[in-house]
Amino acid sequence: MTHCELLDAPDIELYFYGELPQADRVRVDAHLLRCAACRQRLDDLHAIRRALADRPVVDAPPTGDWSGFMRRLGAAVSQSPSADQSVDAVGRGSAVPAARTSIRFAAAAAAMLAIVGVGIYAAFRVREAAPISRQTTNVEIAAHPPTGPAPAVRTPDSSLREVTAEHLERSKLVVLGLTALDPKQTHAGDWQYERRLAGTLLDDTRLYREMAQERGMDDVARVMRDLETVLIETSMSEATDREALSRVQRLIAKRDLVVKMQLVAAN
Amino acid sequence: MVYRLAYQFAGNHYDAEDIAQDVFIKVFRSLDRFRYDAQLTSWLYRIVMNACIDHKRRHAPAGWAPFTEDAELRMANTPEEGPGPEDQAYGGQLGEVLEAEIARLPPGQRLVFTMRHHEGLKLSEIADALGLAEGTVKRQLHAAVHRLRAALTNARVTTGGAA
Repeated sequence: MTHCELLDAPDIELYFYGELPQADRVRVDAHLLRCAACRQRLDDLHAIRRALADRPVVDAPPTGDWSGFMRRLGAAVSQSPSADQSVDAVGRGSAVPAARTSIRFAAAAAAMLAIVGVGIYAAFRVREAAPISRQTTNVEIAAHPPTGPAPAVRTPDSSLREVTAEHLERSKLVVLGLTALDPKQTHAGDWQYERRLAGTLLDDTRLYREMAQERGMDDVARVMRDLETVLIETSMSEATDREALSRVQRLIAKRDLVVKMQLVAAN
Repeated sequence: MVYRLAYQFAGNHYDAEDIAQDVFIKVFRSLDRFRYDAQLTSWLYRIVMNACIDHKRRHAPAGWAPFTEDAELRMANTPEEGPGPEDQAYGGQLGEVLEAEIARLPPGQRLVFTMRHHEGLKLSEIADALGLAEGTVKRQLHAAVHRLRAALTNARVTTGGAA
């Protein structure tokens, strides 16, 4: 058996993953013609790819239930010193940061990543609208029972507002995830993941929209309708539809959905 | 994407949730420092990779480092817990065999392989995110694939070529 000079080198892996410069690819091509061992190594890589491609993708906690994860995350964030600082910063007023963010966003948008820029901008606006301060406040309220006036009486409307606010917080992560993806570079698995997530939120969104309509809670009903539209567009898209993500992102931006969700959840 | 990567690295939901939580906290804390000339996904990948390494470091012996030659040698001789490829091969599915072997890879190799094979990141991007020389990342990938090939061969032998 002749000695193969590539036996201990990573060239075959780099060739397989498209990481070799053109000149080296030509060299490896020529080598493969005369080296059965390296052809076998290349075949092995194809076999590994095929075998792993058939494995289920695990992209959510068991049974797809994020509620426990979100509770722990909320608690962890609210206990974080940095979170407190952020809350302070938000509390001191958001006009200046908003202006700065707008300028930075404009610069970013002027560059090439317009769609991703929208996502980042939206994320900043969400932060400035104090989502974390609300989480922190909830934790503080739980830890320190109120000693002043009696707590407000819970009504069906206030209960519905509470559950819809939780639903909007969950959904917001999905919407932000969609805005942050780059349509040109998004991995098929990521798009599939987002479509599946959107599908899991759809039934609840529709239910809350109908309940809000029945009770005349127009602001909740409107944002749920917008969210429902985005979720339908996302979850019903074909896996191979390369334009779908761009359409969804335009829809989110056009309806200013992230900000609306934040405002309604904060009411 | 965050949870998927965390699960691929950790191999179980408990640790995956831990890593994913770290990632979201880090994203929240550092969103202000995000550079607008950078890709959001690249930035996020970097945070996920570092969270994976941090998580492993927290649960590893003192002095452990994921990418040094010493650490690689130690880890190569100390497989992660779990059934070996031959045990898995009897179960039938080649994909399961390979997943089990990926879970047994040293963390540095596992991370590099996952980011390259599953996520499609360029080696230069992985090196940049991890603060490593590209040559080191190439060696990690080579070593990871070498072990997966061995698992593949074992599985074929064990199943008489059916796998």
